[in-house]
Amino acid sequence: MRTIKLYISFFIILGIITSCTKVIDLKLGNVSGQLVIEGNVTQVPGPQYIKLSRNVAFTSTNTYPAVSGATVSVTDSLGNIYPFTESPAGTYSIPSMAGKTGNTYTMTVVTGGKTYTAKSTMPGFVHLDSITSRASFFNTSKNLRQVTVHFQDPAGIPNQYRFVLYVNSVQVKSVFAFNDDFSDGRYSNIDLIENDIDIHPGDTAKVEMQCIDKPIYTYWYTLMQQDPNGPGGGVTPSNPPTNITPTTLGYFSAHTTQTETFIVK
Amino acid sequence: MNKILLPILILLSTFQAFAQKNFTISGTIKDNATGEQLIGASVRIKELPQIGTATNSYGFYSLTAPKGDYTLQISYIGYQTIEKSISLTKNLDINVAISSKSELQEVVISGNKPNNDNVAAPQMGVEKLNMSQINNVPVLLGEKDILKTISLLPGVKSAGEGNTGFYVRGGGSDQNLILLDEATVYNASHLFGFFSTFNSDAIKDVSLYKGGMPAEYGGRLSSVLDVKMNDGNNKDYTVQGGLGLISSRIKVEGPIVEDKGSFMISARRTYIDLFLKASSDSTVKGSSLYFYDLNAKANYHFDDKNAVYLSGYFGKDVLGLKNTFGTNWGNSTGTLRFNHIFNNRLFSNTSIVYSNYNYAIQDFESDDNFKATSQITDVNFKEDLQYSISNNHTLKFGLNVLHHTIAPGNITTSSTSSFNDKSIEERYGYENAAYLSDDWRVTSKLTFLYGVRLSGMFLLGPGTFSTYDEAGNTITSKTYTSGQLVKDYFNLEPRFSGSYLLNEESSIKASYNRNTQNIHLLSNSTSATPTDLYVMSSNNIKPEIADQVSTGYFRNFSDNIFEFSAEIYYKWLQNQIDYKDGAQLIANQDVESQLTYGSGRAYGLELFLKKKYGRFNGWIGYTLSRTELKFADINNGNYYPARQDRTHDLSVVGIYQLTKRWNLSATYIYGTGNAVTYPTGKYEIGGLTTFSYSERNGYRLPPTQRMDIGATLEGKQHKKYHSSWTFGIYNVFAYRNPYIITFRDSKTVPNTTEAVETSIFATRIPSVTWNFKF
Repeated sequence: MRTIKLYISFFIILGIITSCTKVIDLKLGNVSGQLVIEGNVTQVPGPQYIKLSRNVAFTSTNTYPAVSGATVSVTDSLGNIYPFTESPAGTYSIPSMAGKTGNTYTMTVVTGGKTYTAKSTMPGFVHLDSITSRASFFNTSKNLRQVTVHFQDPAGIPNQYRFVLYVNSVQVKSVFAFNDDFSDGRYSNIDLIENDIDIHPGDTAKVEMQCIDKPIYTYWYTLMQQDPNGPGGGVTPSNPPTNITPTTLGYFSAHTTQTETFIVK
Repeated sequence: MNKILLPILILLSTFQAFAQKNFTISGTIKDNATGEQLIGASVRIKELPQIGTATNSYGFYSLTAPKGDYTLQISYIGYQTIEKSISLTKNLDINVAISSKSELQEVVISGNKPNNDNVAAPQMGVEKLNMSQINNVPVLLGEKDILKTISLLPGVKSAGEGNTGFYVRGGGSDQNLILLDEATVYNASHLFGFFSTFNSDAIKDVSLYKGGMPAEYGGRLSSVLDVKMNDGNNKDYTVQGGLGLISSRIKVEGPIVEDKGSFMISARRTYIDLFLKASSDSTVKGSSLYFYDLNAKANYHFDDKNAVYLSGYFGKDVLGLKNTFGTNWGNSTGTLRFNHIFNNRLFSNTSIVYSNYNYAIQDFESDDNFKATSQITDVNFKEDLQYSISNNHTLKFGLNVLHHTIAPGNITTSSTSSFNDKSIEERYGYENAAYLSDDWRVTSKLTFLYGVRLSGMFLLGPGTFSTYDEAGNTITSKTYTSGQLVKDYFNLEPRFSGSYLLNEESSIKASYNRNTQNIHLLSNSTSATPTDLYVMSSNNIKPEIADQVSTGYFRNFSDNIFEFSAEIYYKWLQNQIDYKDGAQLIANQDVESQLTYGSGRAYGLELFLKKKYGRFNGWIGYTLSRTELKFADINNGNYYPARQDRTHDLSVVGIYQLTKRWNLSATYIYGTGNAVTYPTGKYEIGGLTTFSYSERNGYRLPPTQRMDIGATLEGKQHKKYHSSWTFGIYNVFAYRNPYIITFRDSKTVPNTTEAVETSIFATRIPSVTWNFKF
């Protein structure tokens, strides 16, 4: 739902009234060294990746220590085992594997004497029809653009989507997760509203569309809600609910993917 | 019905037997100039200091004393005290009109000794606000506001800057029962909480109960804010109003039939969107943002014994983004009341009350054209009786039948829209209650106010009702026919407060009360939004329960000119509601599957020093408190501070009559920052820097403080009209109070993260309003 616009309007108005921001120093706790697992299996034949790292203190630079020496594998519902090997450090991959829609995949990671497992089912593929751009709602004087994705949602089944937007090869720092609770079976036009990167005519925009299963949707949607400009208007943040047991940071997602590139008009 | 009434009648007749040697004086106390009935005016017998009472919501009083010659003394703050010699040899009807001291005379300290009601009355945890004080307290942009003024009282915390939401003794903002002429106001805020729905021009009386709730109120856990509208001048026609920076208002009142009936209409409209026109952004420029509201009331007194009142409120907020998006929301209420005085001891009021809150969100763009609406409608029948049995017992009892209709969500779309039509089943239910309470003057020093309220919640069909397991999966699902009982809950709510007078100037008081709540607000946003969604107690949601004990020491100084109180409280909360991660609350048939339940506790100390009289008056309030919640799946099942937990909270209000024409005022607030959750680490996921958290609400926003000043200049006296100017400066010292702190990748130092503090109203905001009356 586009309640997101409501919040955006609210913040715009707040901004008009009088708001100001400044960067501040905060004393934050440091709970670092926790295992982070990010595992993805897609339908596109080729290498599939599972990355293991550790979180760091807020004040550190954005470099995350790799977790090496783990035993990583994925099994499918038919009992096939796909072993992943490490290269470079912390990145575990299999050179050629293609996930199948409808199959359930189980990831197993053994590290530090613990075994972590997660299940994810690859949903049916939904075709990304087209990407368009139009004038942004806000900052109209700057002649900015926003990107809209268009696709036909399949009727009668719940679908969940995640979009990743790149502008001139730089990823936009926003989470875009949607489901079809309100749009089942409709031709969908979704604006990827963001305020991270200014998009101008002539820029190259790249959109990856993922069809994700429900737990993974909840994972991304929770992250999206915590964005102060997101649909929750900034709910109390927490670690998003992972599908990995025992609980650790990250997720394992079997999803379909399709990427389209276009020049913003 | 008979089962309830019969024991009451038996009880009444026993008390009757005690009271036979005495006679009763009863009547109504009114304002001499306008005919407005005065609420809470003190009526006492000078020769018998232990005999006294206060007028009820309709200005009615009744007191009983042995045969004799007495002086009847009637006093009310801001009014001349009147003494009347009476010869009590039979029951007497005495209606008295008293005169307001004109604002000019108010400078002089009253020659009459102020009374010690605050010390002597058994009720504790109550704050009564005088409209003239509210009118003098400086506020943002000059909009006088009762909700912002009550947040300056101890035990009451503002939900934040630019927000009229308030928390009472740690309770959530949906745990306040907000009544306007007995009608529930579901959303008491305009413009996302910057202004309240109460237009102070139309308001006569405001009482806030923080603890020891009288048995006639029920249905919410934390507090009762009882707001009563003006009846209207029944002597003369008057017009008054004001022109302000962001809003204007006008009030017209006058007699329908002189001395018998009157009307009052008050309206207000903001034009905050004029500021938007100044924007260079064409979308913002073409947007609309305003609210308006209307209060109206009429009454007619058939004779001394019978009166009818009709009052209503209608308000709407409109926000529109140029040709793309619009939303509007508003409350409407209506109250029809009939007062009947059976005899000089038995007063009755019958009310039929209507209340509605609705919102609509509309997207006009062709590719996702939709309109979503949601509303809650209440129809309430109330019968309240007050029976003064003798000079030491006053009974209150009554019945309440409240019907809710909740339409959680209805979405309509066009054929070109990305969205489908969707309609969530409406929900119906009754919240019924019966209560009985007694104000018992045990001795001249010891008084009890005790009673009991029986509440019953009945959730009714038609519809499909499901139960869910902890993970939110449906366990059972059953379809019910229209009117079929789905679930009922009964709760017995004892209410007790008592006071013991140590001497004429000091007392100790104690109270215990249980409150239950069967209607729950679902909103997982931290800002006040119009998309409020209400649900009733059901198979999954149990009634919220609060048990509160409190005790306090009350002391007056200098002939009751200074009032001091110290109260401590402890509250246990059961069946509190929170939301699961990623909860989808809007237009969700299975919204109850998104909820999780827990408990809480709140305790604190409130200190209050108030000077009610004199050229200089005002108060200092300080609260030391803690509010903690416990949910199995949050914070590893450990207690964590609620967002509204605020360790220290200080407010100072000063009003000074400088000269006959100049009145100055200032407020200062200081409070511990809200409990917030900050990251304790970071990692990368999906190419994005993501923060990790270890503790819920384990950090604090920096403390907030602010000082506001105001001044009123009364115009020169004219025979025909009166005018005044109100000036104000909000945030005189331009403190940067943090509104929110966010975390992001640094824009300046690559590969690092930074914390960003956003403040609103971080500058001085001046205001000016011109007020007139003729």
